Amino acid sequence: MTDILLVEDNELNRDMLTRRLNRKGFEVRTAGDGQQALDEIASKRPDLVLLDMDLPILNGWETSAAIRANESLADLPVIALTAHAMTGDKQKALDAGCNDYATKPVDFPDLLEKINHLLGNA
Amino acid sequence: MSDPLPTRELARLQSLQIKLGQILVKSKLNDAFRSDLERLFAAIENNVSKLENLHDAGFALQSLEDAQLRHDIRNAIGITRGYAELIRESDTEEIPTATLSNLLDKVILWSNRSLSLLENGKRKKNGAHSATTNAIDSGSSHQISTSQYEGNILILDDEPANRDLLQRYIEQLGLTTFACANANEAFDVLKHEDIDLILLDLIMPQMSGHEVLAKLKESQLWRAIPVVVISGLGDQNEVIKCIEAGAEDYLQKPFNRTLLQARLRAGLDRKRWVDTERHLSNELEKSQRFIKNTFGRYLSNEIVANLLDNPDGLNMGGSLQTVTILMADIRKFTTISEQLPPEKVVKILNNYLGTMADLIMEFGGTVDEFIGDAILAMFGAPVTGPDDADNAIRCALTMQASMKDVNQRNKELGLPEIEMGIGINTGEVVAGNIGSVKRAKYGVVGHAVNLTSRIEDQTRPGEILISANTLNQSNLRLQTGRTIQLQPKGVSETITVTQVLSESDHPIVENITEDSTTDYRAGGEQ
Repeated sequence: MTDILLVEDNELNRDMLTRRLNRKGFEVRTAGDGQQALDEIASKRPDLVLLDMDLPILNGWETSAAIRANESLADLPVIALTAHAMTGDKQKALDAGCNDYATKPVDFPDLLEKINHLLGNA
Repeated sequence: MSDPLPTRELARLQSLQIKLGQILVKSKLNDAFRSDLERLFAAIENNVSKLENLHDAGFALQSLEDAQLRHDIRNAIGITRGYAELIRESDTEEIPTATLSNLLDKVILWSNRSLSLLENGKRKKNGAHSATTNAIDSGSSHQISTSQYEGNILILDDEPANRDLLQRYIEQLGLTTFACANANEAFDVLKHEDIDLILLDLIMPQMSGHEVLAKLKESQLWRAIPVVVISGLGDQNEVIKCIEAGAEDYLQKPFNRTLLQARLRAGLDRKRWVDTERHLSNELEKSQRFIKNTFGRYLSNEIVANLLDNPDGLNMGGSLQTVTILMADIRKFTTISEQLPPEKVVKILNNYLGTMADLIMEFGGTVDEFIGDAILAMFGAPVTGPDDADNAIRCALTMQASMKDVNQRNKELGLPEIEMGIGINTGEVVAGNIGSVKRAKYGVVGHAVNLTSRIEDQTRPGEILISANTLNQSNLRLQTGRTIQLQPKGVSETITVTQVLSESDHPIVENITEDSTTDYRAGGEQ
């Protein structure tokens, strides 16, 4: 089963997205901050990372940069979840090595499409 | 100056929350589905509190500029929408009622509207320097600001000219209108839209205004919507009848715009207060549910009902009262548990404690505490009754009898059989909520509790020992067994404890036999 790592500090949001992704047949692991995310990735490489940019301890930009700094993770698909309407966030996310981005609040069908696209399921 | 009334978005969301709460309380749902709905409820609650904070600080969604606040509220709305969509995506047969399905649609609609309000409000602000916006602003400066006039108005009038006129008047005020030519159309709109006020023509074919009004007031859902009756000059008697039947106000044709405005304003204000009031009563219901959830597991229904009637009972502090205390534990449990893996120990305990806790509640007792395999229960707190000792003894006898079932289940699960000892004592204790405000528990403390524990220590497997105090309080005819003298630590006198074997079936005192088993008529006759 596809293993998605969801990095999101808001508990309700994390639960909601986890449930929705589960319903679509994804296995979801979660992390509440960037450091936890890196630990999770180190313990087992996920198939895809959904990365909130506004995180405590290690924020999304730093986390994404840390992922890309690791050569073995260079091709790990990462989708940034960015605050809505923040111009520049999109470019910043791509600059930090994310493959794609979705604005929050997340449009779920749109997010699914992006996930499937990156996983080559499209 | 902030508006003292809740904003329309807040009131709407609160009313949706209430409806969802009602569904949760009333509907039979499977666990997974209920858990989703509870999550949605929690998300809405969080969303409501965020909006309340905004409102208290004097902000409205459309004029919110602080980036952090915008981020927070956007997130909250997004989560609300996410859960609603999640449930909406479930298999259709899982969504049990049309009401729920309709409610989910409304939550999603609410979220989308609120998000667009949040975003468009900002855009308008950002563009405030452009010439067009300025022109519109100055042009509308004489009108009453739309924030004072928001709402969905249903117009029910069979005359097209009247309908159009009303519609134009009202939309100029910034309100949304739904114009209907007959009652069927109107009820259809009511089913799908959140209507804040109804303008109702009296004289119509098919269903008259009076009949429509009666139907509205019969409905739990629609009864709170204010109705303003539209009447001709000669309809005085009908108007009076309608007001008596629950209409808020009336308006005479030909319409006077100022009067119409005033009626609308009064009606909408009222509606918002009703929504707020509903929200408050919902809060009350929630706190009652909290009490039930927190205490319901261990307290008998009677005590929970008592707490609900009298929430002040939750205040810290205690009272000195006489209670009968029951302590039970599994004999030699430490030895048993050492030989078993932890999950089996937990299984044994749950099987045993669950059965016993149910019995204790059944007999009107309260489980004060589980301490490992030991149960501390009390009879007579918070409410002292004449049968506390009797109830405790009967409960103990039933508990011992039910050990057969407990062990049967243990056997089926491949677990060892267990045996229980029970000690009972009656005495004065301090009963009340003990602990801190955050973590309080109704309980008892006092010497009598410690003494019960000493008595219980003396029990053999399967035995019930009761103190002389309890025996004296009891009016039951009991078959008793051995009697022992105890000299507990820190107590000067010895106390007598008696083994209880069963409740005697014989109605009167019989010959006292020399046998160790005596038929005992307990207590002083009253």
